Amino acid sequence: MDGFAAKREAYAVWVEALGDALARGDAHGFSVALAGFDAVHDSEIRQAVRRVAGDLREALEQFREDSHLVDLAGRQVPDARHRLAHVLRLTDDAAHRTLDLVEKACPLADAAAREAARLRGRRRRATDTLDVEVQAFLERTASSMATVRNNLSEVLMAQGYQDLSGQIIRGVMKLVDELEAALGSLVRLSGATLGTERAADGTGAHGPAVPGIAAPTTVQGQQDVDAPLSGLGM
Amino acid sequence: MSAQNDLRFLVVDDFSTMRRIIKNLLHDLGYANVTEADDGNTALPILKAGGIDFLVTDWNMPGMPGLELLKEVRADPKLAKMPVLMLTAEAKREQIVEAAQAGVSGYVIKPFTAAILKEKIDKILGNRAVTAA
Repeated sequence: MDGFAAKREAYAVWVEALGDALARGDAHGFSVALAGFDAVHDSEIRQAVRRVAGDLREALEQFREDSHLVDLAGRQVPDARHRLAHVLRLTDDAAHRTLDLVEKACPLADAAAREAARLRGRRRRATDTLDVEVQAFLERTASSMATVRNNLSEVLMAQGYQDLSGQIIRGVMKLVDELEAALGSLVRLSGATLGTERAADGTGAHGPAVPGIAAPTTVQGQQDVDAPLSGLGM
Repeated sequence: MSAQNDLRFLVVDDFSTMRRIIKNLLHDLGYANVTEADDGNTALPILKAGGIDFLVTDWNMPGMPGLELLKEVRADPKLAKMPVLMLTAEAKREQIVEAAQAGVSGYVIKPFTAAILKEKIDKILGNRAVTAA
């Protein structure tokens, strides 16, 4: 029996009863027929809700059984945020370190250029070979210090990458936060628990160590590399 | 390099590296008096306290963004005429129009060069001198 035929069979008797009651002017009969009609309709809605609930339960069970998604929500997504925050710190530190050096080098270059110009002025009348060589050296120094100073300014400007890349990383971090919250809600809804323990990393290459994420066997510096190697006679 | 004049700048940017870069560039241009703030919320009390002649601000900052700071400045009778240079990575045409409608004096897109920064500051100060004359 197809869907429509089943519906016709369920509803027909009550539609007919409604028609009869209306024709007879039978108020009680009409109420009884209407209640019967509603009961068929309610049962249809209940069946549909049961179907949706069943589908949802099945989807949540599948989600709970898929450990990759749980791992993603509990470990990999939070790790991704830590890694991005670490990149932000690394680039910030590197840019500030570069700016420290530029700020220290600029006055030295300025002073060297000034001093070369001053001495060149005093030695304008070269009297012997040494004087000629010193004069040329001072001219070269004044010119090369101006180039050094320009290059330092360019190095300074280039550190602007930290701001631009940082803004993009912050945007991605915000996205990761939202993803983590959405996945977390889904995991809780499925009844699974968020695992935070780390799987064994094996020996494949995983890139630089990230504080708070690095495996327990990660070394902390070159001396930690040299010590065990020297113990092995290398 | 010594200061060419006594104009007092306020540089507002949430990235300390960028504040440092702008501060160094301003110093090279002869402006040695530079104060820093990391967003509109920290910048506004400094501006309201007085003593700042020129505002250089980023747009996208946590807390109060640059556009809101600009609107606050233009809405304050004591600050309304202050030159405001927006120095930002926000490069959409409608954003530039929005900043212009809010009363920005100049708009520089990151990444920028020292020459562009100098050109915009000179232009804003030049226009200001003409208006004041």
